[in-house]
Amino acid sequence: MVNSQYYPGNYGRLEVGMRVRLLCIAWMAWFLVQPASAADRALSVTIYNDNLALVQDLRDIEVKGGRQRIEFQDVSAQIRPETVSLSAADISIVEQNFDFDLLTPAKLMEKAVGQEVTIVRVNPATGAETREQAQVLATNGGVVLKIGQRIEVLRDDGLPVRVIFNKVPDNLRAKPTLSVSVNGSRAGTRRATLSYLTPGLGWKADYVALYNETDSKIDVQGWVTLTNSSGTTYDNAQTLLVAGSPSQLDGAGQTIGYRPPVRRQTLQQPGTESGSRERLGDFYLYPLAERTTIANQQTKQVSFLDVHDVPAEHGYEFRNRWLGTAETPLSAQSIYSFSTSAHAGLGDQLPAGTLRFYMKDKRGDPQFIGENRIDHTPMGSTLSLATGDAFDVKVHAVVEKRTRISTFDWQTDMRYELTNALPRAVVVKLRQEGLWGDSSIKAESQKSTRRSAEVAEWPVTVPANGKATVTATFETRY
Amino acid sequence: MRAAALFGLGLAAASTVSSAAEPQITADPPSALIVTVYRAPYRNTGSIDLNYLNGFALVSETRTVRLPAGESRLRFEGVADGIESVSAIVTGLPAGVIEKNRDARLLSPSALLDATVGKAVQLMRTNRKTGKTERLSGTLLSDAQGGVVFQGEQGIEALRCSGLPETFSFEPVAGLSAHPTLSVVVRSPVAMTRQVTLSYLSRGFDWAADYSAVLSADAKSIDLGAWVTLANSNGTGFPSAHTQVVAGRVSHNGDFVPIEMGRPILARCWPRGSTSDQPMLVSLSDEAEYERTHRMFKKSVARDAAPMMSLAAAPAAQVQQEQLGDLKLYRVPERTTLASRQSKQVRLMDRSGIPVTAIYGVDFAADNATFTGPAHRWLRTKNSAANHLGLPLPSGTVAVFVDHEGGRLLQHESGIRDTAVDEEVEIDQGESADVQVSKTDEGTGIDSAHAKLLPLVPGVALRSVKVDDIRRVEVSNARAGEIDFELRLRLPEGARIVRADHPLEAENGRPIFRFKVPANQTVAVRFQTQRIDDGILRTR
Repeated sequence: MVNSQYYPGNYGRLEVGMRVRLLCIAWMAWFLVQPASAADRALSVTIYNDNLALVQDLRDIEVKGGRQRIEFQDVSAQIRPETVSLSAADISIVEQNFDFDLLTPAKLMEKAVGQEVTIVRVNPATGAETREQAQVLATNGGVVLKIGQRIEVLRDDGLPVRVIFNKVPDNLRAKPTLSVSVNGSRAGTRRATLSYLTPGLGWKADYVALYNETDSKIDVQGWVTLTNSSGTTYDNAQTLLVAGSPSQLDGAGQTIGYRPPVRRQTLQQPGTESGSRERLGDFYLYPLAERTTIANQQTKQVSFLDVHDVPAEHGYEFRNRWLGTAETPLSAQSIYSFSTSAHAGLGDQLPAGTLRFYMKDKRGDPQFIGENRIDHTPMGSTLSLATGDAFDVKVHAVVEKRTRISTFDWQTDMRYELTNALPRAVVVKLRQEGLWGDSSIKAESQKSTRRSAEVAEWPVTVPANGKATVTATFETRY
Repeated sequence: MRAAALFGLGLAAASTVSSAAEPQITADPPSALIVTVYRAPYRNTGSIDLNYLNGFALVSETRTVRLPAGESRLRFEGVADGIESVSAIVTGLPAGVIEKNRDARLLSPSALLDATVGKAVQLMRTNRKTGKTERLSGTLLSDAQGGVVFQGEQGIEALRCSGLPETFSFEPVAGLSAHPTLSVVVRSPVAMTRQVTLSYLSRGFDWAADYSAVLSADAKSIDLGAWVTLANSNGTGFPSAHTQVVAGRVSHNGDFVPIEMGRPILARCWPRGSTSDQPMLVSLSDEAEYERTHRMFKKSVARDAAPMMSLAAAPAAQVQQEQLGDLKLYRVPERTTLASRQSKQVRLMDRSGIPVTAIYGVDFAADNATFTGPAHRWLRTKNSAANHLGLPLPSGTVAVFVDHEGGRLLQHESGIRDTAVDEEVEIDQGESADVQVSKTDEGTGIDSAHAKLLPLVPGVALRSVKVDDIRRVEVSNARAGEIDFELRLRLPEGARIVRADHPLEAENGRPIFRFKVPANQTVAVRFQTQRIDDGILRTR
């Protein structure tokens, strides 16, 4: 017998036995079920950036003394049951259950197999009702009933028949439900804290920047945006937002939250200033000033930043990939840059989100001119955001000539024609990328700066309604 | 517990909201509307697709609100259903906007059921014979997976499994509205009436320019007219709105939380197979339902679409252009109604007598593949004031027409990109069967006498030789007049043309031959390219 424990078949049987015992306990516990009161609960919700929240739920539970089961309603429908923890004075936890067998008519009938139900036949001619007791025999494809000594298929003739069940089976729920079996050493009502992690709650920042063209300044408003798709409403919750992404593991043991590579570098100069915001380790905390209700399927925004007259710079940038040659001119990107430092900038660290730029039109109405994403940005940083293409500033990059100098050496002659249809001169940061390996500039029409081994940059002034040309000769070796 | 729940519902019926204590104020309908339509960010040329409008719009609504003193929840009903709620800005309120909310749930049968689970409800059952309706009070136990379970005094029953006509009669439910609604919680020191402006970005808009060019009889000039075609696929209309469109590509990803329009209630029951062998019950799947409504919508949009090629140059009020940062803004001169699921056209421009040059040409690789086919045809001009243009041309489509016996014939339709002032404009006119081009490989010469050997490893070397290719391109012209021809070539890396019997030019770093082909004649161009070819050679 001891040896046979090693056989998987017997092991399985052992499991079944245990499960039956657990079911018995659960059944016994049904009579002792105590729904945890949700009326005078105090909720606090800590929301992280990556679709993750920590919910702490304080409510009064009535402990009877001895073994009892407590059901928790109004917890997140997406609760991660393995993260649940309950604490209260003078109780010990026997087990935690998360039931996700949902109460549907089909399940109700299936669980009634072998049990008695009441059927009510309605006479279609007279409307008279006839009641009978029936035993449900099977529900495979159709419902087979035993009425007295006869066997019938439910509603086989299509005539109306009501079926009335006596009770709802134990573990069928309208919503997935969390229950905890506890041993209470002392009877009485006491405060219990239930805490768990749940996906479905997340937040990010949304910024509104109004650019003033005449004095080149921006007004920036920041909003934190909460979204709740967890299936549950959190009433009157004390809310704390954490800027940062704690690493999470999924079932397979890999980190989730893959971040695609950023194409253009938004953060030009990382800042080194410290603000007055509350921190937790390396995360910044944004507590909401007041308790709030986060309804299911709701998007909620709360203001956290309002700064006026921050100096901003508007410029143009064009990036050409290696051997990039075009038949028609392409638009340069329109770039807005500003600082987040305390003395000449926004004076705050910025949680990751989307920054939308607006500008007033001739009639004074603000119009949208483009947006871009920013990452978590420390205070004192320089940010540079591309809002879109410039209609009037274009660059025509052409590979003029590719010459083979020797077996492994090539010479590349590039010409860049910059055009400006605006009535004012502009400066375009012209960048040639892809200079990896041993690439050098043999000749150029104006001096370049090498931002990195990879990128050469020419600041090109293009006169109003005019043109400018840059030529460069590159030599590349493998 | 039961008593408490009923008490809660009673409260809900009285104040229409159960969760929030603050009073609800509904803002007046918009008194002024501004709609600025942006193009689909990733479309370079071409017209809009009414089936799927990829652009967006900035909507600004001015509304009157009457705020009580203290905290209140201000509701803006009837915003566009494509609203990107995170972009919403409310201005004109007294200092404290505490929070902004958008609830993505609308009042629907499934939302009613969902909100009533675990609460009191009345089951109504009508006797078909007597017509008498019986009302049973009870609790809705579950609406999981589309099946509804009800607990009454007699016991537990499932809805619509008995074959009797039965339905629910609900208590009023708070927080569900008929239209997409944005709300803000605001604190006001005193009661006041204010004009506030709500601005937000919304999906389901797009616009493009639709040009029509009429080519003169001598094919030397065109008359160019254009419409701005804008469309709204939202279920919300914008009556009497100041309307603008913006040209130029703006960076916009969109941040859209779809509105839950309510899933259909399927009233799933237990297995209902019978002893007679009946076919499987086919239920209308969600997908089919979506497809059906989607197609209906498509049709209604298509019906509203205005004819694209309005040729008659009836005088129309033109949009006014102004600079907006690095973008171009076009203002529709009068207030206009942009109805739900509608496309609309406004005149963009009308210019005549624009000189154009018709060019024939081909663009192919100078390799040894044989090619025979028709030449391409372009109309070329410059977007300058001297050419009666000199204005920004937003991207879209160009349809070229020719006059023919009192009527007009469509010649070709093609896309046009955003064109700034003083840029070249090239209007594609498709292929011309009258001008045929053939490319022939005449021979290859390898200069093995001067081959260079580069030893790599003992016994193996890299052999580099000069390779000369001679090609001939023949252009035949079956037209009655002389044509201008451009032969553009793509050379292999490092190759160059060393000899040619026609003058050689370079454009965009590529060789190009420009020549004329007289009427009913054929012109041949011969050229020799030279390149260095590498190969691995075993030396022993």
